[in-house]
Amino acid sequence: MTGRVIVITSGKGGVGKTTTSANIGTALAKEGYKVVLIDTDLGLRNLDLLLGLENRIVYTIVDVIEERCKLKQALVKDKKNPNLSLLAAAQTRDKSAVNAEQLKDICDKLKEKNDFVLIDCPAGIEQGFQNAVAGASEAIVVTTPEMSAIRDADRIIGLLEAKEEIKSYKLLLNRVRPSLIKSNDMMSVDDVVEILSCPLIGIIPEDTGIITSTNKGEPIVNDENSMAGKAYRNVAQRILGEEVPFLDLDEPKGFMAKIKNVFAKLKAKV
Amino acid sequence: MEKGFVENGFIIDLSSAMNTTQLVFELSSIMEHPDVKGKRICLKLGNLDLKQSQLLSIKALIESMDATIAFIDTSSEQTEASAVSLGIIVSKVGENSNMESYVASPNDMKEESVVVKEENAVTETPLTEAAEEPKTVEVHADIITTHTETHEPISTLEGIEDVYTEQTSDELSEVIPSENFEADFETLAANEGLISNEEVSKYILLDTGDVLPQDAEENSTDTKTLPTLYINQTLRSGQTVNYEGNILIIGDAHPGSEIIAEGDITVWGILGGIAHAGAKGNISSKVRALKLNAIQLRIAGLYARRNDTLNVPYVQKSNEFTPEEAQIEDGKIVIYKKLRRD
Repeated sequence: MTGRVIVITSGKGGVGKTTTSANIGTALAKEGYKVVLIDTDLGLRNLDLLLGLENRIVYTIVDVIEERCKLKQALVKDKKNPNLSLLAAAQTRDKSAVNAEQLKDICDKLKEKNDFVLIDCPAGIEQGFQNAVAGASEAIVVTTPEMSAIRDADRIIGLLEAKEEIKSYKLLLNRVRPSLIKSNDMMSVDDVVEILSCPLIGIIPEDTGIITSTNKGEPIVNDENSMAGKAYRNVAQRILGEEVPFLDLDEPKGFMAKIKNVFAKLKAKV
Repeated sequence: MEKGFVENGFIIDLSSAMNTTQLVFELSSIMEHPDVKGKRICLKLGNLDLKQSQLLSIKALIESMDATIAFIDTSSEQTEASAVSLGIIVSKVGENSNMESYVASPNDMKEESVVVKEENAVTETPLTEAAEEPKTVEVHADIITTHTETHEPISTLEGIEDVYTEQTSDELSEVIPSENFEADFETLAANEGLISNEEVSKYILLDTGDVLPQDAEENSTDTKTLPTLYINQTLRSGQTVNYEGNILIIGDAHPGSEIIAEGDITVWGILGGIAHAGAKGNISSKVRALKLNAIQLRIAGLYARRNDTLNVPYVQKSNEFTPEEAQIEDGKIVIYKKLRRD
């Protein structure tokens, strides 16, 4: 079998690449697909923390490349889902320890035995980015509805278009706050799509649950009640080729939320 | 308790203390005085018998307050012997000289210094040096100087030396640990409830298979024989220390840092990163820290991960730590905790 290799990138830091990688990876694995997550952020690794696997890492991607261990030995199995594994970045090395050729090689090996290989890209457009993109054939560009993040995403899309190996790229809009869009304080989803002229694969609402899930090392897709978790599950469905409507972020679900909403509307009328 | 102030010096009279506890109590209350800082201390110990170890603690107490011992005045032979073996000068504060005279004008000081020569018991350490070239000690108000030529050699020096070497060797046999010292100590401590075997629910062995480097082989070398690397800084994420011996870190080792030693690893702080002791296969290596929170503990070929359920707070707020020590026992990594005696 030949799996799909998807790189998750953004240009700007802090927009949610790693959170997105962890959640999409977990969601795909929950669907029964074999998934490998690769952290290519050498020296500033975080993906292991988000998955709660930090204490299990013995070998890293650098050990594989420098042939201190076999590729299989370096794959850390997830605590809950045996379909999901992680190839961790080395914390004590920097980006120059790996080159694009080597990463492509690893991706090629991994896609033979897995359905999905997700690459968590470091911020920036330097060697770390070039390495991460090397083995991928698809890309997800993560951005937030802020001018700076959009500008960087635009730059990244330009770089991705220039790469022959990248067959398709999609936009994932993260940390969307419907209330701010309503009050005209935040760019709307349509605005962002128009600026970047890039197909959309998901809209993730801002969710305070992300903070707790990150600190606990438990991806939010495992939380059935979370809006962000649901949005990530939908992204996974779309990656699998299903048509899933975008979440209606305007109307919060749940009984209490509806009541609150009614009151809010009344208040607005008054 | 009398105390006298001297220029850059300080006499503490503890000769009325009945026992060591009282002495230490009095001494520490005096040492709290801000004026003591940076001063040379002359201790009057009376006829109290002090062992080498007790005197060492007193010395440490004084040094912990940034002061130094200039000399001690004692009438006990044992204390004198202990002092000599520790390299502390034994001298006399003359009977006729009360403390006040030390505070007096510098002219008076010269007279005081004669006191030293009047007392035959004056000795100086280290003894080997004294034997080669007899010296006398002169006590001045502010400093103690040693003269080599102007004074008569001390007649009793040889005799004293004999006595001292004898006593010193006696003392040493008490101080130098026997071969089973650690084992003895642990049994003793366990009986007193000092050390508990806090088993490894905290750490779970990883099944990693063959993880040691290829040139490594399992052995059990005494880590005391290895050299030690001393690091006086906090290790941050991404920093690695690798040494062919023991590693001692004064500071914390943050998560994401890596300490790899062929011998023991000791962290005087919170160990939060990865620690690998006995990295070349020495199974008698140990990992110790004031707080053992390592993400992974590795000793020789055994790798253990921190338990997922272990809830480590974001910040270690407590100032009270119970030192912990990890070692291999029966193919497992076992952590000993030194509990506070309540």
